[in-house]
Formats: sequence, structure tokens, C-alpha cells
Amino acid sequence: MSGDTHCEKLHEVGAELALGVLPGRERAEAVAHLDGCADCREYVRQLTGIGDRLVGLLPESEPPSGFDTRVAAGLAEQAAGAAGGRPARAAAQGRRSRVRRVRPRLAAAAAALTVAVGFAGWAVGSAVEGAVTASSSPAVESEPVLVGDMIPAGGGQPVGEVYAHPGSPAWIFVSVALPGTPYNGRVTCLLARADGTTTRVGDFPLRAGRGNWGVAVPVDLTRYSAARLTAADGTVLATAQLQQGKVLAPET
Amino acid sequence: MIFRGERSGGRAIPWRPSNVHRGVSGLRFPVGRLPDEALLSGLATGDPELAELFVRRFQHRVFGVAMAVTGDPQLAEDVAQQTFERAWRHAQIYDSRRGSVGTWLTAIAHNLAVDAVRARRTEPMAPEDLDPLLDAVTETPERWALADEASTQLRAALARLPREQARALMMAGIYGMTAQQIADAERIPLGTAKTRIRAAMAKLRTALASPEGGDHVR
Repeated sequence: MSGDTHCEKLHEVGAELALGVLPGRERAEAVAHLDGCADCREYVRQLTGIGDRLVGLLPESEPPSGFDTRVAAGLAEQAAGAAGGRPARAAAQGRRSRVRRVRPRLAAAAAALTVAVGFAGWAVGSAVEGAVTASSSPAVESEPVLVGDMIPAGGGQPVGEVYAHPGSPAWIFVSVALPGTPYNGRVTCLLARADGTTTRVGDFPLRAGRGNWGVAVPVDLTRYSAARLTAADGTVLATAQLQQGKVLAPET
Repeated sequence: MIFRGERSGGRAIPWRPSNVHRGVSGLRFPVGRLPDEALLSGLATGDPELAELFVRRFQHRVFGVAMAVTGDPQLAEDVAQQTFERAWRHAQIYDSRRGSVGTWLTAIAHNLAVDAVRARRTEPMAPEDLDPLLDAVTETPERWALADEASTQLRAALARLPREQARALMMAGIYGMTAQQIADAERIPLGTAKTRIRAAMAKLRTALASPEGGDHVR
């Protein structure tokens, strides 16, 4: 395939494509070629990585005083607004409800989009992001993650959520709010395999039944099927069945 | 155990109670010890405390990109703010296989900055800004000695490029200028501008692929 004239043409414009400066028609032709040429996708992926790293060399700069608090306050306000004035926690759950888990199948739109930009560099990715934002289709795949809702021991509505990333380093993020349980103290987080054996992640504090934390975990997360929170006396407070899947972008 | 992010060498840091921060929302963890990816997940939950931690961790880098591209503090602040808002809205689609959280954020900031400049000016950059910026990204002072090896290699390879190729690469890669815009700015034929961009990228690619960091790049 490398001797193909289309490949030669792609190599001529690959740098401009990777840097996001190739004009429309040429870009469309190049992307169309990438759709069917894995070698050229890899070539452009490498160049895109160089372009991203070039941006990463730019010197840091001191933002205006108070920038961090202003931006964070704005984000919290938007989170609350997105949930119609509900508290941030509820807003988070509202956002979460728009996040759909999918089994290993990929939505057709996501697959097409991934192929279209195949090399999946950030420079191109952000252009895709814009397209996604403007598109009516919400389907854009993310990395594989393990996700699960924390269900209280007695059953009922979810009281928290677990995101676990099986990469390197693997990490787990747990958020929990036990309603009507003014539990103050430490809880133990365990990862459970299908055969019932468990691995202790660590002990974490809850205040008034609420807490969230993220930690790196030096284990192969894909071998676990559930996460469990237990009180100091071993009582199971909540359990999340972990589902392997992908997360789709929000619809907005 | 809490681990620093991968770019910090993946060192394990014992989680001691004295290192633990308790926030008003009940959030509790060693400040600054959460991996970037975990912090990004926290940002997605809408927790204001995590949002502030996230912004604080990346604001200098994001603002630096915005300032370099726009050259306008007010516009850069707008771009930086939009960058964090976009990261918050799209935290779920972050994919660590494509790069670090920092790389993702700087790419967002860069694209927003280029778009902002395109929307405001006919000229994407002031010519007098280019050489100082090129010097800044190729400098290898002592403070970069602890930077990751790949960045050091890239800086060195960039410094070895013929100046006209490095300028073309910066115009395209940083300021988002098309080959035609570069040709106009440098008063060279379009084909020459394209060749310079292509040659520069090819040399960087070769340099980064070779174990010695491309000592033979000309």
C-alpha cells in the first residue's frame, strides 16, 4: 500500500493534516484515504503526536489573580444550572444519567467517526469534538472503563458510583452519599472477583455518610467484577457491580 | 497508597493522615496526589472543590498556551476559561490512550486559541512574536534538565532545524497558519512553504524515533 499514489499524496500533506492546517478539500481527500489505509493512519497518528508535543513545549504563564477560583465557581454554577438548580451532587447524577454505557459494540456513528479521524490524535480529536458537539448524535466512544452504581446493602436506589480505569497506572474513583446514614468514620473499599475472593483497596473516610476519593490501584482491574464498601465491623454498606464498557459523550 | 501521575515517575507516596486534606464537601485526599485522570473524573461529578484543584493544577499550562497563541492577556483568559469549561463538559470522552490529561487540555486550549485569533484578526500572528517564541521552545536551560526525556529530545531536534523550517513549523503548528498564509508571510512560493512544513515534521519524527534523539538531523 505504501507504493500507492494515494499514499504518496498523503505523505505529502500528512504534516499539514496532522497540524490541522490542511485546507478543506485537500483535508477531505486525505481523510477519505485514511479511512482505508492503516499505514497512513499510523503515519499521521505519529505526526499528530509530534504536533501535540510541540504545543506542549510552549512556556507556562501566570494567569490573572483569582483565575482558578473564578473558573471553578463558574463550573460549579454550570453544574448546578445543568440540573435545574439542584445541588452539585444531584447535578452530577443528572449528568451521569445522560451518560450511557455500552457493551463492547460500538455505536455506528462512533465507529464511523473513529475511522474518519482514525489516527485519533488530540489535535484532530478536538476538531472531532466540535463536530460531536454540533451533531445530533451523542455517540462518541471513550476509553474502556469499569463503571458501576453503588447499591445499598438493602437494595434500592444507587447511592454512589464507581469509575475504574484498568490502565497503567490503574485507578479507581468512588463517590458515595448514603442517605439517612449520618455515618462518620472510615469505610473499607474492597474489590471482589467473581469467585468471591476480594482485594482490599484501602480505608476511606465518610462524613455524614458522604465521601469520594480516587486512588491508584496496582492490580489488574479487569479481573474484578464488583466493588464493595464495608463498615469497620465488616457490615456491607453498598456494592457496585462493575460493568466493562465504554462511556458515551453527553448529548449537550 | 496514593501514586503520583505517570509523568511523575509513578512513585508511590504513602498516604499519611498529615497529608490528608478535608474539604467542606467531605472530600478528603492528599492534596495534589490524585492522578490527573482521577481528578478529571472528579471534575465530571461537578464537585466544586475538585474543580478548583483541577484548574489550579493545569492553569499555568493552559494559560501559557493561550497567551503564546493569542498574545492578548484578556483573550487568553477567555480561552483558558473556555478550555476548562470544555474539559468539564467532555471529561467523559477523555481517552488516556491518546495522551495525558495535560496533553488533552493543551490541545483543547490550542485549538480554541487558534479559533479565537482567526475570528478576531486577519493576521494570525505578529511576525515579531515568532522568533522569541521559537527561542523559548528550543531553549534548554537548566530548568529543563528534569523535564521528561522526550520533551528534551524534541526541543533539541527543533533547535537543530534550519531556521526557515522551524519558523514554518511554528507558524503551522502553533499559530495554525495554512501553507498559503505562511507563503504570504514569508514571501515564498506555496510549494516552498509546504516543503518546509513537511521537511521539519519529517526531521522531528526521525529524531524522536532514533534512540540517540536524532543527532544526525540536518
